[in-house]
Amino acid sequence: MPFLEFRQITKRFPGVLALDNVSLTVERGTCHALIGENGAGKSTLGKILAGVYTADSGQILIGGRPVAPTTPLAARELGIAMVHQELAFCPNLSVAENLCLGDLPRRRGFIDRSALRARARALLAAVGADIDPDIPIGTLSTGREQLVQIAAAVGTGAQIIVMDEPTSSLSAAETADLFRLVRELKARGLTLIYVSHRLEELFALCDHITVLRDGRHIATEAIASTTPARVVTQMIGRELRAHTPAHLTRELGPVRLSATALTSPGHFTNIPLSVRAGEIVGLAGIVGAGRSEVVQALFGLDPAVTGEVRVNDRPLALGSIEQALAAGLGLVPEDRKRQGLVLGLNCRENTALAALPLLTRFGFVRRAAEATLTARYAMRLRVKTPSMEAITAGLSGGNQQKIALAKWLARDCDVLLIDEPTRGVDVGAKAEIYQLLDELACEGKALLVVSSELPELIGLCRRILVMRQGALAGELPHAAFSEAALMQLMAGLPAAA
Amino acid sequence: MPARLRALFRFQESGLLLVILALGALLTAFAGTVRTPVFERAADGTRARVYTTDAAGERVPLTIEKNKFLNVQNLAQLAKDTSFIAIMAVGMALVIISGGIDLTVGSIYALASVAGALVLRHFGAEGPAATSPVLGIFLGTGACLGVATLCGLASGSLIVALRVHPFIITLGGMAIYRGIAFVVTEGQSIGSFPAAFREFVRCEVGDGLGVVPLATMIVVLFVGWIFLSRLAAGRRIYAIGGNELAARFSGIRVERVKLGVYVISGLCAGIAALLSIGYYGAATSGDGQGYELNVIAAAVVGGASLTGGRGSALGVVLGALIIQMISSGIVILGINQNYSQIIIGSVVIFAVVLDNLNTWLAKRRLTAAA
Repeated sequence: MPFLEFRQITKRFPGVLALDNVSLTVERGTCHALIGENGAGKSTLGKILAGVYTADSGQILIGGRPVAPTTPLAARELGIAMVHQELAFCPNLSVAENLCLGDLPRRRGFIDRSALRARARALLAAVGADIDPDIPIGTLSTGREQLVQIAAAVGTGAQIIVMDEPTSSLSAAETADLFRLVRELKARGLTLIYVSHRLEELFALCDHITVLRDGRHIATEAIASTTPARVVTQMIGRELRAHTPAHLTRELGPVRLSATALTSPGHFTNIPLSVRAGEIVGLAGIVGAGRSEVVQALFGLDPAVTGEVRVNDRPLALGSIEQALAAGLGLVPEDRKRQGLVLGLNCRENTALAALPLLTRFGFVRRAAEATLTARYAMRLRVKTPSMEAITAGLSGGNQQKIALAKWLARDCDVLLIDEPTRGVDVGAKAEIYQLLDELACEGKALLVVSSELPELIGLCRRILVMRQGALAGELPHAAFSEAALMQLMAGLPAAA
Repeated sequence: MPARLRALFRFQESGLLLVILALGALLTAFAGTVRTPVFERAADGTRARVYTTDAAGERVPLTIEKNKFLNVQNLAQLAKDTSFIAIMAVGMALVIISGGIDLTVGSIYALASVAGALVLRHFGAEGPAATSPVLGIFLGTGACLGVATLCGLASGSLIVALRVHPFIITLGGMAIYRGIAFVVTEGQSIGSFPAAFREFVRCEVGDGLGVVPLATMIVVLFVGWIFLSRLAAGRRIYAIGGNELAARFSGIRVERVKLGVYVISGLCAGIAALLSIGYYGAATSGDGQGYELNVIAAAVVGGASLTGGRGSALGVVLGALIIQMISSGIVILGINQNYSQIIIGSVVIFAVVLDNLNTWLAKRRLTAAA
């Protein structure tokens, strides 16, 4: 009898059938991967198991017994815990208080501080986490906060842990630590449901893999009997071929964006860079190296930045978004939900938001022009939405990212700063976004792309700048591209001979 | 159902219209009737009772029986009472959609009334400048609207410059503006305005229908509706209320827009104040006490979301009408006046719960359609 079984799980959301009769089984003490494009339903399935969502129909069985994890609390009592992508704790409370929040140790009605601390230390030690239980959880990095989540899960006696994209914002070292912990938990007999986009880590970590596509179960196989290429084909339902971007063969135009001695105290120092028309320049570095800070400073979001920036050979006054916009800069930010989109507005309004000054006459929005312009870019990007009047919050991550891009295309900027162009975006939409960036470069736009995914930069850029600890560590021309060379620069190692 | 008809049902204010019709029908059904004397307008414009002779041959006033709610006088009164709150509610809608709150409107209403009244008294029949009433009316209007706008500008500037939550700044402003009004008037009522001013604001058409407040409300509603739905400035307000950071990243000058909504809210309070001093012929520092809560209630009942990003001008005006219908309904139905606050408070909570339920149902409908 299988340890955990999903039987014909169906779940609907506004506008989508997220899961359509999904059935699969999971063996005890294994790490079971759920993979699929964005909107395939993998996160939804994990969240149904953890009680975040309730299935519309279908059954979950543990050890052959039907269970109903209708709330996260009910799931926890069944021994199911979830490690979330987003903040799962109260950031202002200490690690210890968060760990014991459901059951604070009390003595005569008062919180027993020493018992609280001792219990937290024990929980943290059980997962080998070296974290001070007294510091506020908001000051921890995402990776360390996840450790606390896992400690909480293990501490409550969880038998099944659902991990939703656990490595999406971890550094390489944190990822390695997490993998070590996952293997150890598995050895202790815990069952892990591992939801991820990242194929390579699934093959390094998991025993079985289930592929979902458009809410349907496609395949469940043992890792040993499948290959990454086969899984990719299952995920997207078609063959994916690598291709060389067309812009690489074009002549470069004049310098569009140049910066010298760009410095922001505490973030980065003395950064030089230049991007020419028709060029895609990558900006690599580990999280915290100052990549996002540089592009945000170029866009006028950092009042403390100093240095000289020229756009189209004219000096740019720093620290002002208005100046940056007027000069022809655009920024597709890293976090589309927080910085890129107003999720409560519809697709048309979001697409038009940055271009609003161009669409306005006597203060009135020119509605016909707005409709035409936004529809044109939505079409060009193949945004999948019931209509341009649909609320952006209802779209999948990939389509939201396309709207966040369309917004700056509608503005027709000369220089686009793109921070993580495909974060949380499925394989199919990724390919479409790469194709679009290539086309933009061919049209003579200058693109500066920040990314944590090295294959993405290698497949996209003409040059890659590498940052380390707030300084420029080096620059690689296209001929010298390799993940190894990039990683060495990122880690500050001398280049291999 | 034809597409056009379906579109009408989806029209977001249609729910509020239904509530208003239902309330009207209920009030009409339960109000009972009242006998009122019949008036006649003589050739010189004065109103006089019409008399008749009864069965005993005596001369008695002619009366007719009317529904207590559904009669011209009552509806005119309702329209006038709604106007003051509705005008301020349009300004409040802008503030609430931007994600803020403005508690100063009642106090701005008082201070602007007092400022306008002081100028108008100077030019009134008993004032030192009684000879130029027209100039007085212009200056009085300017003082009233100017002071209100300045108050809005002051709150807005502090909110933007100090980055303090608007609740705190406007809570302080609420006390300060009313305090200024009290100091200036020394607690006295200010009256005796140029007659032409009062006659203009009180001018009636037909059977006692005061058109100036109503017409002003319709103009404010129309301007507010155009502003929010057609102007880029309105779009920016929705964007800031929906996600301030994303709005900033899109190049919207967040501070300028925020400042603007408080200025407009102040101006709307000034417009309401100007109408009220014309209508009632006097101003005191105690005017408009508690109006801020009525106005916020109207906006919330009308579908403006206190988390920002959602609401409409028509919605809040209909919200104001609902609240006013309920408070006048309490009088008409003969319910003890002391209960009116309890009833209105409950209605506000009920309206928001209903709105949440509606949002949930719409989401479920969308799910079922998929």
